[in-house]
Amino acid sequence: MSETKTKWDWEITSQTSYWGTSLGEMWSFRHLLGGLVKRNFLLKYQQTILGPFWILFPPLLTLVTYVVVFGKFVGIPTGGLPPVLFYFSGIILWSFFSDSFSGTASTFKDNAHLFSKVYFPRIVLPLSIISTQLYNFLIQFMLLLLLVAYYWLFQGLTISPGITILWFPVAIITTAVLALGMGLFFSVLTAKYRDIGYVISLGVRLLMYVTPVIYPLSAVPEKVQWVVQLNPLSPLFEAFRLSLLGEGTVSVFHLMYSMLFTAAFFSAALLLFNKQGDKLIDVV
Amino acid sequence: MAENIIQVERISKLYRLGTIGTGSFRQDLQHWWNLYILGKKDPFFHLDNTVLPNAQQDQIWALQDINFEVKQGESLGIIGSNGSGKSTLLKIISRIVKPTMGTVKGKGKVSSLLEVGTGFNKELTGRENIFISGYILGMSKAEVAAKFDEIVAFSGIEEFVDTPVKRYSSGMYVRLAFAVAAHLEPDILIVDEVLAVGDADFQKKCLGKMREVSQSDGRTILFVSHSMQAINTLCDRALWLNKGTMKEIGPSTTVVNKYIASMQKLQLQQKWETSSLAPGNDKIRFKQVELIPHLELTEGIIDVRTPLTVKFQFWNLLEEVSINVGLVLFSYSGDCIFDLLSPATVCHKGIVEGECTIPGNLLNDGSYYISLHVARDVSIQLYYFEECLAFDVEDYRGNLNYFEKWWGAVRPQLPFRLENKNIRLQLSI
Repeated sequence: MSETKTKWDWEITSQTSYWGTSLGEMWSFRHLLGGLVKRNFLLKYQQTILGPFWILFPPLLTLVTYVVVFGKFVGIPTGGLPPVLFYFSGIILWSFFSDSFSGTASTFKDNAHLFSKVYFPRIVLPLSIISTQLYNFLIQFMLLLLLVAYYWLFQGLTISPGITILWFPVAIITTAVLALGMGLFFSVLTAKYRDIGYVISLGVRLLMYVTPVIYPLSAVPEKVQWVVQLNPLSPLFEAFRLSLLGEGTVSVFHLMYSMLFTAAFFSAALLLFNKQGDKLIDVV
Repeated sequence: MAENIIQVERISKLYRLGTIGTGSFRQDLQHWWNLYILGKKDPFFHLDNTVLPNAQQDQIWALQDINFEVKQGESLGIIGSNGSGKSTLLKIISRIVKPTMGTVKGKGKVSSLLEVGTGFNKELTGRENIFISGYILGMSKAEVAAKFDEIVAFSGIEEFVDTPVKRYSSGMYVRLAFAVAAHLEPDILIVDEVLAVGDADFQKKCLGKMREVSQSDGRTILFVSHSMQAINTLCDRALWLNKGTMKEIGPSTTVVNKYIASMQKLQLQQKWETSSLAPGNDKIRFKQVELIPHLELTEGIIDVRTPLTVKFQFWNLLEEVSINVGLVLFSYSGDCIFDLLSPATVCHKGIVEGECTIPGNLLNDGSYYISLHVARDVSIQLYYFEECLAFDVEDYRGNLNYFEKWWGAVRPQLPFRLENKNIRLQLSI
């Protein structure tokens, strides 16, 4: 039996690859992805009376707070939109982003036990978190549509759906990919240095204030608008509102900037995640 | 001739000791600086690759230069004391950790069972856990669904399948977890000491299932265990790791016996040339105690079949006394197994010699020690020589298909009759 004749299916070396798992292998783990999403969902509502309704309560409660605090007391203008719709659209997209990001950023830390006992493509776990959050987002989005319908029917809100509706999937997908990219990048860092975990929870809170969540971009003074526009999330939020509610300050140029930034960041993060993922198990 | 299914070439694994904090952060920065900014190679990892560098102070080689092959359908046992690198080796082959150097090549699907209940979540029901655990171990949805009833039946939790596993007894939990793993159908199954958990019944079921998998289905198994009995029955070949290096590889009985022989905590002989140094008092001083195992039958190790002869000599410093000696055998936990009394003999000043043989097939497996007491006139103690000999008795069961820990302080072979009288009983219900 000569050495050359033997065909090996797999080979483990000390080298780690930037390219990670092949698509074929990923496909064979699709059931795991589905199973994990289901598990995340079940776990969250295990032993609760209201169950999945808890997806809707937190954003609604935040909505009430925002309407009262920012709308009534502080008086931040919401453009021509009813404050309820304005805030709620911002809240659900923001919670989608921040929950996805902070959920994936601790992938290695949270799953160290699992990762040290069994092999599967590590990327499956962050993907399952994003998918779970996307699912939650879609449910919250249904509620937003109901609210929009209410305002349209009874409050005389005029919406003229146009070509801008195409921005909607772009905004959602780009937000998801950006959250995943940032999550992958920081998961590698938090695995080794837990300090990063604290930085993330702080950073996410601060990031919200340079994102048009509680204010429209148009309400930002011209002089500092560039700060907000530098944030690749800003055009996504504006595009999201524009596509749904018909109001938002966004240009194709800004949207392109967001998408390119996201694509570049995500690719880099994915390569880093693949390259470092196999080594990290020694240090988590 | 069966083909190689796994080939391990020069695998080494280096671990960094100590905590990760500011110190390691500085090292990381230095490493990164050297590597990418100055373009220097890391001095540690890029030596000529023929000799492993010595580990630095805060590093340890968990594995060094491991080479072996496993053939299709073979089961390889991996033995060694704690910290010898067994689990690290399995983790490398399972793709969980990366080796520092070397390659592993293999064919087919690998499933590793490094713990019982990987991916189980206490909040979820048995049914949900079967699916998620199956997926994590690499099964597809169809496979789990097809095996679902079998898994539930194997674990015996039919009524509880829709109850969260946190309400299960620990036995039920372990049974369910193993049941999922037992129904995997990989080409290579990697198992790490799963037998250490669970009750005797579970261990038996577990081993039985693994035998079935390896022998009838022809799967390749890599198996780590501290139970030499299990290794002997399950594995064709065994690999002995010692402090991260390969000590021996070969037919499992040979390797296991060598391993056991090296592990036996023996104090088989003590000898003193002059009476002044010898243990004792002004009446009795011991010259020599010795345990001679009759190893002809048992390939150089003391197992349950081995007859053991205890020989001793002592200086009697008293004139004309009636002496008898008691030989007390203790289990390692300190329980007295027996206390044998020699016949009383009138001895003059000088050397007294004695000998006693413990027959084979009397002691159960375990660790033992022997104490000797010397008395005059049967009841007045002259000297008590505590723990003068210590030895281990290893298990041996031959082809007996019984894997549980054998009960009892002794394991004698006594005449035992069981026969079928061929009378049909009329059962009235």
